[in-house]
Amino acid sequence: MELFLAQLINGLALGSLYALFGLGFGIVFSTLGILNAAHGTYASWAAIIALAAVQKLGLPFVPALLAGIFGGGLLALLVDQIAFQPLRHRAGGGMISALITSIAAWIILDSLAGTATGHESLSFPRGSYPGTMFHLGSIPLPAMQIITVVSMLVVTISLHLLIRRSRFGAAMRAVGWNQTAASLGGVNPRHVVVITAFLAGATSGFAGVLGGISTQNVSFSLGEGLLLKGFAAVVVGGYDDVRGTAVAGVALGILEVLTAQYLSSGLRDGITYALLLGFLLLRPRGLFGSAGFSRA
Amino acid sequence: MKNSKRQHGFWASAALLALAVQGAPALAQGLAPGEYKVGFITENTGAIASAGKSFWNGAQLAAEEIKGKKYLGDASIALDPKESGSDAARAIQAMNQFVADRSVIATSCCILSPVAGSLKPIVTAAKIPLVIYGATAAGLPQPPYIYSMTILPGPKDTATAVKVVDTLKPKTAAYILAADNDAFKGRMAATQKALEGKGVTTAGVVSVLTKDTDFTGAATQAMGLKPDVVLIYATQQAAAGAITALRDRGYKQTIVGNDVLSPAAMFQKMGPTIVGVPFPVSFSATIADSPEAKAFVSGYEAKFSAQPDIYSAQGYQVVWFIAQGLKSISGTPTRESLAAALAKVTKLDHQVYGGEEMKDGQAETAGTLVVNWTADGKVVPWTPSK
Repeated sequence: MELFLAQLINGLALGSLYALFGLGFGIVFSTLGILNAAHGTYASWAAIIALAAVQKLGLPFVPALLAGIFGGGLLALLVDQIAFQPLRHRAGGGMISALITSIAAWIILDSLAGTATGHESLSFPRGSYPGTMFHLGSIPLPAMQIITVVSMLVVTISLHLLIRRSRFGAAMRAVGWNQTAASLGGVNPRHVVVITAFLAGATSGFAGVLGGISTQNVSFSLGEGLLLKGFAAVVVGGYDDVRGTAVAGVALGILEVLTAQYLSSGLRDGITYALLLGFLLLRPRGLFGSAGFSRA
Repeated sequence: MKNSKRQHGFWASAALLALAVQGAPALAQGLAPGEYKVGFITENTGAIASAGKSFWNGAQLAAEEIKGKKYLGDASIALDPKESGSDAARAIQAMNQFVADRSVIATSCCILSPVAGSLKPIVTAAKIPLVIYGATAAGLPQPPYIYSMTILPGPKDTATAVKVVDTLKPKTAAYILAADNDAFKGRMAATQKALEGKGVTTAGVVSVLTKDTDFTGAATQAMGLKPDVVLIYATQQAAAGAITALRDRGYKQTIVGNDVLSPAAMFQKMGPTIVGVPFPVSFSATIADSPEAKAFVSGYEAKFSAQPDIYSAQGYQVVWFIAQGLKSISGTPTRESLAAALAKVTKLDHQVYGGEEMKDGQAETAGTLVVNWTADGKVVPWTPSK
């Protein structure tokens, strides 16, 4: 039982990373209509920026984390304005064009991330992040796991309130539904696009920095792993509801860890993708997605 | 009488002179002057680029030294690099280009065994020597065309584990294994058998995958087995992750690593986490004591402003091995004559590990150096922490 609970907590922390990443991925998809293959690189770059802030500037944990989050957001904003914005004005610049453009951005940013890290897997120095070990009875509870879970909860609730309860959230949903109609309703779509892109990059960047610390892996490959799992969380949870992404992300993490513990580590990814395929076939709108959402 | 002696002396001198003149062409001919091209498939990009750069740096240093020291007289070795990024398809493409370029007399390649394996039929058919610098799977060498300068880590792993067991007398052992890597599976199985033979019970085997990044679950699983010692059989990234996760979760018992912990980049990445973890190594810059090894270390430091690791030593040895083969050839070498010359090498002239021999195309060393990292980043002979 003790082992089960310890693994449950491990799964919760891992799933929180997937969820946090998926939140950013999901709002880009639901609001901007872009299935952004480059989204994983925002996480990689955020971790690289945070690590540079620690190693080169000597910043402590929180400012370095904020630097990484801001960096992820800024990168997402730049990619959106350079790569995706021109497509919005073109006839036929639909989802496929955006997907192809995002693949190009992914390759470029991935290569640059590899160059920035010397094609090595780097890690945050010990002491540059909270390393305290708490105990829940006899179950060890590292500080970074607690920070990851709490961060995911705070970001999920904040995004949910922003999207569902604020005027800006209404504008985001309006732009996601139809940009022309939103403009006629007094919404400035460019303004919404810019802020949404930044928010999405920052959220995934947050996951990147926390993931880079937790897994001791700051490299160009960091975002790739998160991209696939984040995508699965968005599909399973529902494209247009951040609560669904959070629940699905956490569930995927728990499922992965418990599969490795009680079945086989080789089956982990298979189960995740079987779940993804099952939802795409049987319930494409996901757990929490609205029936009227059309992106799937 | 005196005249007779003088006559004998004259004829003896004349005979010696005649012999010397007769033999002179063969003795003086040696290797024909020129620059001999070695096709070197680099792995300076991709997931294991840090190791790839070390191999390449070592090879470049060797080529420079061979030329500078005139080891081959007026001949020298020029390295022709082509990047594979550890990708088999790109490695095959590069090898085909080397085969087509008749000025390439030998080739070198590969960290990953499947990539090295994919080149075997090409080089065998083309009859061009291939010296493997990093792949470890057994059965890769195939003289006269395929050689490996990688000191096989399997026996070293077992020797390390046995030394730890003999010293610490643990009762149970758990293994963390990269289950998608056949080489590590074989290495772990050999060690497990040796330890069980010494009465150490296997508490369990925890499987991870090479591409995994999160090891908290695996560490929890291993600690749940309550072993006296945990042995890691995984690639660099996975080993780093597993050891970090074990230490982060408070595992205080002995962890036994493998040769992937030896590069300085691993200490820079992991710092205090790997301090005291025993691992085997064939070469260490801080322990090297032979004049050749010391010269290699100082030459490497001067050229690259970094300490050489085992990978750079292997890359270095590849080029020296090819040079030794070339040196034994008279006249202009061909791919076939170089292959035949390499097949005759049983002991390496230029040694940095110490006691290096070639057996069936495979480099071997005697003994196993069991070491660990210290808190100030030095590799020292392993002693159990108190």
